[in-house]
Amino acid sequence: MSDPLRREEKKDAPSEKRDDGPKKPDVSSPGKDNILKRMRKVDPKQSEKYKQRTGE
Amino acid sequence: MNDIVPLMGIETEYGIIRENIEDSDPVEESMALLKACEQKSVFQLWAYFRERTHTDQRGFSVERLAQDEEEDEFCKEDRKRPYSYWDMKCDRVLTNGSRFYNDHTHPEYSTPECANIFDLVAHDRAGEYIVAECARLRNKALGEDSIQLFKNNTDYIGHSYGTHDNYLIPRALSFQQWVDGLVPFLVTRQLYAGSGKVGTECKELAPFEKLQLSQRADFIECLLSIETMTQRPIVNTRDEPHAASDKYRRLHLILGDANMSPYATALKVGTTQLVLTLIGEDKLGAVPELSEPVWDIKEVSRDLTGTIPLKRKNGKFISPLEIQEFYLEKAQAFCSGQREDWDWILKEWERTLNDLKNFPEKLSDRIDWAIKKELFGEFMEAENLGWDDPWMKSLDLEYHNIDPERGLFRGLEEEGRIPQFFPEEKVTQAMDAPPDGSRAMIRGKAVEHCADSIKNIHWTGVEYKDGSYSDLTRVITTEEVYEALKLEKERFA
Repeated sequence: MSDPLRREEKKDAPSEKRDDGPKKPDVSSPGKDNILKRMRKVDPKQSEKYKQRTGE
Repeated sequence: MNDIVPLMGIETEYGIIRENIEDSDPVEESMALLKACEQKSVFQLWAYFRERTHTDQRGFSVERLAQDEEEDEFCKEDRKRPYSYWDMKCDRVLTNGSRFYNDHTHPEYSTPECANIFDLVAHDRAGEYIVAECARLRNKALGEDSIQLFKNNTDYIGHSYGTHDNYLIPRALSFQQWVDGLVPFLVTRQLYAGSGKVGTECKELAPFEKLQLSQRADFIECLLSIETMTQRPIVNTRDEPHAASDKYRRLHLILGDANMSPYATALKVGTTQLVLTLIGEDKLGAVPELSEPVWDIKEVSRDLTGTIPLKRKNGKFISPLEIQEFYLEKAQAFCSGQREDWDWILKEWERTLNDLKNFPEKLSDRIDWAIKKELFGEFMEAENLGWDDPWMKSLDLEYHNIDPERGLFRGLEEEGRIPQFFPEEKVTQAMDAPPDGSRAMIRGKAVEHCADSIKNIHWTGVEYKDGSYSDLTRVITTEEVYEALKLEKERFA
């Protein structure tokens, strides 16, 4: 069986409580700080310097 | 294998830039990237004489495909370069059956043909890894990290490049039957398949600075067209099946976005495969025809709720969500319980439409535009910025950077905010091995075992230096693949 299917089975296991509403953002997550750090490193002018040629 | 859509594939043109050079030259950089590739492959042996890109599904041919004046000028300059056409194309065919080359100054990875949705998603992702590895090798050779590759579709100033999804379908139905059934679905597929874009490049509509659903919607100009670089259509009419043309058509869709989320890729190709199956099996019935689909595709993209009213040909109105629910209900009635991957698609299609309707925040772990909405929202709040700040477009671009150390989507995966779709082995395996049961196995084995004997190679066959030819035009079903492999047993021993 393909892995996405297994992932779904796990998600729908009866022991797991299902969400009924929007998730509250996890503000304590260290990942959030890391991704914000990564975002702050992005050159604000990067998209202005990014020039491509037309493709298909 | 599905009788109606036996094979599917995705072509992705990547954006490329060398950051420390003011006018980064995409021709030079794309060539250098392809030359850096260390994957086992055959090089510069693509059989261009087998291509027929000028034939139209509507029964005529065109003399040339159009491009805009700016690109005409670039091409004039390209002809002065000291390179042959073959040098610039740098075609590679890899052991997994894929094609990796330069198309219109963009490195392009075309997955091998896949019969299964999850195989296709794994191969699309494997393509990202292969392209990223080439960038790493090129940067290593340069002694810097200036070469950056982006799996996106725009440079934010009007230059778009494509992510095409392809489906082999029966010739027996007229092309118009496929078009009629597909158009409302395709106009609204962006609700989950859109990868999101900050701002707009569409001059016909009012200025727009916020996040829209789709990268590509701004560039769709007509309903039907054979063109791909200008006058881009909702349904492309190129008639090049890469298979027996008496039996098959290839539906070449050029309106889609490059998805970073493998889940979104799965939903995009999976739902399209189901809709094509409904059309091919004559189970779809009358669809809610739209009065102005080309206009609608842009309007749908600017509404993140899926509720904007679209005018139907019968004068009534319908929302994008309602159109998707129409197709979902039809697919549930006919396709349930037939295949595991289809059941997964049906379940996730329903869950995604329900979440969009009731709890759109929940989409932010799997749908690209919704991931961006949450992520960029956090950043704007932290930095006190609005959507119109130039930094937001730069972040939008960086979301699609395939460098694991820099890309924002990659960063979210690393932090566990985006659940892993596949175990890593499935993707790394797809970098070398063709998908099971597809004719790509024959192409891939030819590259693996007979690289030095190949005279030329194409989707439709492999010609060897001894004059023999493996014709793949009628090797489509799994049974046909294994039968053909038996005949090639000695060659691949």
